[in-house]
Amino acid sequence: MGIEEEKPKAFQLKPMKCEFNFLSKSDGSAILSQGDTVAVVSVNGPLDIKSTSQSIEKSTLEVLYCTKGGKPSVADRYKENVIRQTCEAAVLGSLYPRTGITVTIQELEDFGGLLSCCLNCTCLALLNSGVSMRCTYAAITCAIDESGDIVLEPSKQHLDTARATMTFVFDSREKNLVTSVTEGVFSEDTYKEALARCHAASDLVFNFYREIIRKYANVI
Amino acid sequence: MAEIYKLIHPLKYFNDYISREIRPDGRKFHECRNIKLNVNSLKTAEASAVVKCGNTTVVCGIQLELASPKAEEPDFGYLVTNLELPALCSSKYRPGPPSDHAQVTNYLVSNIIVNSKCIDLKDLCIVPDKLAWVLYCDMVCLDNDGSLVDACIIALISSLKTLRLPTVTYDAETEDINVDPDIRTPLKVYGLPVATSFSVYKLPERDILITDPSIYEEEMCGGIGSNFIVCSNQSLLCGTQKFGGSNLPPESQEEALKISRDRANVVEKVIETCLANNCEINEI
Amino acid sequence: MPLDYRRFNGPEDSVSYKRYTNKYYKGYDELYKELVDDKGRRKDGRALDEARSMCMFFARTDLISQAKGSAYIELKKTKVVCSVFDPREIPHQNEFSQLGQLYCEVKFAPFSCAQQRRPHVDAEDKSLSVALRQALEPTVCRHLFPNYQVDVFVYILEHDGACLAAAINAAGLALANASVPMYDIITSSSVAIIGKKVFVDPTEAEEHLAMMSPETEGTNHGIITMSMLSELKQVSDFVQIGSMDIECVTEAMDILEKECENIVPNIQKVLVHNVVQSFNQRKQLEAEAKEREIALNVKMEEWKKLLNAG
Repeated sequence: MGIEEEKPKAFQLKPMKCEFNFLSKSDGSAILSQGDTVAVVSVNGPLDIKSTSQSIEKSTLEVLYCTKGGKPSVADRYKENVIRQTCEAAVLGSLYPRTGITVTIQELEDFGGLLSCCLNCTCLALLNSGVSMRCTYAAITCAIDESGDIVLEPSKQHLDTARATMTFVFDSREKNLVTSVTEGVFSEDTYKEALARCHAASDLVFNFYREIIRKYANVI
Repeated sequence: MAEIYKLIHPLKYFNDYISREIRPDGRKFHECRNIKLNVNSLKTAEASAVVKCGNTTVVCGIQLELASPKAEEPDFGYLVTNLELPALCSSKYRPGPPSDHAQVTNYLVSNIIVNSKCIDLKDLCIVPDKLAWVLYCDMVCLDNDGSLVDACIIALISSLKTLRLPTVTYDAETEDINVDPDIRTPLKVYGLPVATSFSVYKLPERDILITDPSIYEEEMCGGIGSNFIVCSNQSLLCGTQKFGGSNLPPESQEEALKISRDRANVVEKVIETCLANNCEINEI
Repeated sequence: MPLDYRRFNGPEDSVSYKRYTNKYYKGYDELYKELVDDKGRRKDGRALDEARSMCMFFARTDLISQAKGSAYIELKKTKVVCSVFDPREIPHQNEFSQLGQLYCEVKFAPFSCAQQRRPHVDAEDKSLSVALRQALEPTVCRHLFPNYQVDVFVYILEHDGACLAAAINAAGLALANASVPMYDIITSSSVAIIGKKVFVDPTEAEEHLAMMSPETEGTNHGIITMSMLSELKQVSDFVQIGSMDIECVTEAMDILEKECENIVPNIQKVLVHNVVQSFNQRKQLEAEAKEREIALNVKMEEWKKLLNAG
């Protein structure tokens, strides 16, 4: 049940394909491919968790990130943190106090832009699971190559030679910056330009969300 | 009285301050805390620094070891940075292996150092494919009162700047290594990365940007770990990290970039003054 | 050793550069000669029976803002930080415990010793933690917080001998600073014994040599750490490592007792300073509160007048 997005004219994003309910046992799941990069996310919750990690104010989000290699590392914890903090900003956790929501992410293929693929896929899986959300969010990765040009959604080759890579996440309501992760050195002007480009490109992702939800809503 | 009010109405208490354009500890929104810095106070480490940003205290010590370089990168040395958040620095941490939060902060700090390219790993290589320096930079937080990353970077950079590597002679035929600890050369540090943390607090009508937040302010503004961190190395940015929390409009970002520039100058002056004083003491 | 996934790891085969310096390998006799010069003075200029408690002792409290009570003790190069937290329920316990518990943890900073310490909890950390708990338990009024535990964390920033003694002193001070009810001030001191020589308050080098067994058998060698409750004249903890004859031990105990008493005024000074300071602070707060009240009353009067005027 893949749905292919039409290629936009102004910006070139990698073709996105998504399928909901990819896993049958979880409350919500999604598989998303952005170009050749693929990730699967399952969401379970709100469910009972041990009392030490319960919070009386809001639901506790637990994010588990599994790499293809399987060995845990500090960098994985970092990615988990990025995803958890972003989800926390989007999920209306205060509706489910004393519960936990578990998000499990499995990397399948990495051909550049894995982090933004994971973030977008998590958002779709959360939508699929029916957890109440304040807003949706869209993640866009861009790279700055040797000559200082900005490349949206870079490929693996681009990333290897890039001076810097940046991932930005915007929310759907005010279209403001929620999360920003950067690597490498860049000037302030480049940063602003990259931010503006990604900001504009985020609309395409939101459109894609809308389309895919519409398709699934029709089926049900 | 105020303490009870703070306990019963935590949000309102904080709101009352912010809507009157002041922070609970009496600072203005963009006022940073005082920085105190001392280098080479620990004698067991090759280089060390103690930094206090307000109450936040971080100690950094560097130890030197020798190893053979990686086969795939034969002319690179090693720089291993680790941040320890022992249970004694805050009631939020429990003894045991590093928590997720500790690992994330650890990654952030080492990421900034790698991205800023302030240390050229090639400088740490002694003989390609045979021998290279391993710099174990361990940071320990003794008191965590917010803006931890800022303090870590200051401590790490000032101790790297005071580090002096001993001379090594390597005999290619016998593979004999001899180290003379009395003749030392300073390590080259390119530029001076500085990190500045911001918290975003949402009032109904506008967003407030808070510079150099304390742990209490971090908690009120979207939880610990949702700071907006700007790192600059000599007018070039080497990382802008933000993880969730309140979202950030473009105007606030402009403001943050400007403040971080000013702060970078202040921090640079602090480190330079401290290092100059340290040199004087050594000469006497 | 399994790889630690929670930290950044260096290469596995790295060794300290100090191994390749000329001065790395030294015999027992050579090391022994270095400790004391011809005039019977130690390397740092102290006499054999002179502790660092007199002029090289520095202590302060309240340096960790997040902790309930904290203390820092410096014996020239040995630097120790301690923090104490609010009592909390004992985790993972079903039975009711009549007496409150102390949870003690001693940790070395990775850069605290000449050789890098890997950040794992090793046997030394554990044995020091146990020794610290045993020393502190008799001095804390544990019956006042049943079923609760008080956390005492000690972090050794730099190790130059007598770290257990320093840890106990710091913990005692931090507990008092956290206003945990205690019977008495606890102080501690240690000696290193090498042959006939007794080194009071030893440095790292002296401790190291005392732990090495000399070539001639039957010679006394070892380290003794003792902690005392000063007013009650009780020994709360006694740790001896190494072998020595009974005479030597009793002699060492006399020395240690005296030394522990010498530290008491130092600790008292810090505590009194603390109390005076907090009184001053309170006075100031009260004065400020009064000022505010007066200002408020004036405003109230004004409002009342306005109301009455219609």
